[in-house]
Amino acid sequence: MMDSGTMEMSGLDQRGFVVTTADTAINWVRSNSLWPVTFGLACCAVEMMHVGASRYDLDRFGSFFRPSPRQSDLMIVAGTLTNKMAAALRKVYDQMPEPRWVISMGSCANGGGYYHYSYSVVRGCDRIVPVDIYVPGCPPTAEALLYGFIQLQNKIKRTNTIARSGLPARLLSSS
Amino acid sequence: MASRLSLLTDQLKRTLNENEIAGLKQALNEITLETPAAHWQTVALKLRDQLGFESCLDVCGVDYSEFEDGAWQGPRFAAVYHLLSISNNVRLRVRVFCPDDNAPTLCSMMDTWPGVNWFEREAFDLFGIVFEGHPDLRRILTDYGFVGHPFRKDFPVTGHVEMRYDEEQARVVYQPVTIEPRELTPRIIREENYGDR
Amino acid sequence: MTAEIRNYSINFGPQHPAAHGVLRLILELDGEVVQRADPHIGLLHRATEKLAETKTWLQNLPYMDRLDYMSPLSNEQAYCLAVEKLLGIEAPVRAQYIRVMYAEITRLLSHLLWLGAHGIDLGAMTMFIYCFREREDLLDMVEAVSGARMHAAYFRPGGVYRDLPDSMPKYEESKLRNKAKLQRINANRDGSLLDFIEDFTNRFPARIDEYETLLTDNRIWKQRTVGIGVVDPDRAKALGFSGPMLRGSGIAWDLRKKQPYEIYDRLDFDIPIGKNGDSYDRYLVRVEELRQSNRIIRQCVDWLKKNPSPVITENHKIAPPKRDAMKSNMEELIHHFKLFSEGMHVPLGEAYAAIEHPKGEFGIYLLSDGANKPYRMKIRAPGFCHLSALDELSRGHMLADVVAIIGTLDIVFGEVDR
Repeated sequence: MMDSGTMEMSGLDQRGFVVTTADTAINWVRSNSLWPVTFGLACCAVEMMHVGASRYDLDRFGSFFRPSPRQSDLMIVAGTLTNKMAAALRKVYDQMPEPRWVISMGSCANGGGYYHYSYSVVRGCDRIVPVDIYVPGCPPTAEALLYGFIQLQNKIKRTNTIARSGLPARLLSSS
Repeated sequence: MASRLSLLTDQLKRTLNENEIAGLKQALNEITLETPAAHWQTVALKLRDQLGFESCLDVCGVDYSEFEDGAWQGPRFAAVYHLLSISNNVRLRVRVFCPDDNAPTLCSMMDTWPGVNWFEREAFDLFGIVFEGHPDLRRILTDYGFVGHPFRKDFPVTGHVEMRYDEEQARVVYQPVTIEPRELTPRIIREENYGDR
Repeated sequence: MTAEIRNYSINFGPQHPAAHGVLRLILELDGEVVQRADPHIGLLHRATEKLAETKTWLQNLPYMDRLDYMSPLSNEQAYCLAVEKLLGIEAPVRAQYIRVMYAEITRLLSHLLWLGAHGIDLGAMTMFIYCFREREDLLDMVEAVSGARMHAAYFRPGGVYRDLPDSMPKYEESKLRNKAKLQRINANRDGSLLDFIEDFTNRFPARIDEYETLLTDNRIWKQRTVGIGVVDPDRAKALGFSGPMLRGSGIAWDLRKKQPYEIYDRLDFDIPIGKNGDSYDRYLVRVEELRQSNRIIRQCVDWLKKNPSPVITENHKIAPPKRDAMKSNMEELIHHFKLFSEGMHVPLGEAYAAIEHPKGEFGIYLLSDGANKPYRMKIRAPGFCHLSALDELSRGHMLADVVAIIGTLDIVFGEVDR
């Protein structure tokens, strides 16, 4: 994650220093301590539990399920979102502190899936909250969710927290 | 098994009065009793106290309006009860038709079998069958403020409204449904022995 | 003058880690004592029964998996039995053995998830990790046979989709595993699926002993469960309870024994019952059921190893023909086309099939008018009935005990709300 080129040039790495940009450091911290809120809705919640349990062990990624939305920065929408639940889902999302991310897990959360034509189902949780990563499957296997999780980490690593508006657009896009 | 069923049929005929049995038939190793709604309360008590049906496992609302593609002539709504006698190890199905199609009403079985509480609420919610005497007849499954009874045959599967988040009002709102209904496989009733040579 | 003390209501859920999904409870409290509990359900109401009316008989089968998603194959079994009853057919014996074996594997899956989740609710975090370790092996069995870890869609009206595979998927080499480790973790995967299951049944009883060491005589566990949520036998019957909720109160009622379906009457197993009807007794009943299910699985494995035979009915109006027959025979091609476009037709009538689901009596009531779709399908979910008694069970208990009671009811919202 470190910018090795800069370090070599300055020779600082020889003296026990690490030089990096604030953006990289912030993103490194953020992407490796994603704390999801336990928000199981339906079947996918079981696979979500499996991700956190013995074989797959999400803790390896610095991730730890929190019971309260106020302590978490990731919401995994795991299961069918119904009309009756939508308000509660949005409320939980609003209670999460910024920055926050959402993984939509399974075809029901992605677009209604098997229950798309039902009168009581929200046809995709992106109608209620903004979604960062969609994980397909019914339910996605624990590996699939893990892959989605790594994709989210990659996405976070690519974001710029500190806006460098003074720089030309050419440099902004390449960073 | 078969002997136990015929024994139960005899017992039913003996215990119940003639006007309390609107139909009694045995098919697929199951006995179905039909009872007029007016007598249902007394029949239920007899079934529980004299025939040992101490549990009511299920109450199922049915809307018969499109049965056999409209060939149905009888009343539109019915409630189907599945009773179980743990002491005699036998089951019984009871069907009670609601006399009035426009305001389907039945008496509540809460006093006889307290376990039917939520099942009656469910049948009320989904079919609009009113159970008189139920202490707490609220909607149970559908959303707060839902309009209509979704399991009636004239209620579209996709419903009338759908939900989305409104940025301006900062809350979730209902809007008219935007998707087209779609039927993958049409519903067909074939004549008997269709496809046999 | 004494201060005025008023009851107050609190809202519990729908997002609460101990709510086992999306339960919303309105609790009326006097201090910390529950006066009234009003469960609000329907937060996962997906209208399965209504959607089932628009899909063909075969297309409806996967909906069953998604009802009680802790025990998908048991739900499928109930649906298949109901359809078979209406069709007047019976699955081949081998298919029945496979179904029973998988129904019992499913029972292990469900009870293990219950034990883990109930443990974590009451503060026994380790239970969760232990139980999920075994669940992974069980899910591998489901995956080996159907390709899906949870929603298998493996049982079909008339049998099961295909026979058991001759090999198990193996762990592959990676930079994290050396050869010796690879050999060790693949040791029980060298043979067929049945060998893998047999190996599991050999080591599983020791694992149950581990769970029991942690919980059964644990003082904290007993304080949290003994005398909580007591139901007396008559009340349990009147409330329509079934499964472990009924057996915990001392009624020896198990459909596998009393109204045996498939090949349960050929198997040797015992029915555990409780005495006091409290949470602790129900815990003991369920743990003993783990041991009994293990016995049943073992008997099925032994039978299946010895008796190869077809696993699905030969009636091609109900089950598809073999692929090579379909490619070479016009008649079979027509069958295949009709079956997957229009679907099968089920004769006019009604049927109710009930099975001993891990959670209680799970019933499917089908009303058919002869079409290629059900006219009405009603799912009798055990959790729905048990949850309706929550108010009665939790009255007079402390707020913290409500969590223990929700846990002991073993509810899953997929089936409660449908």
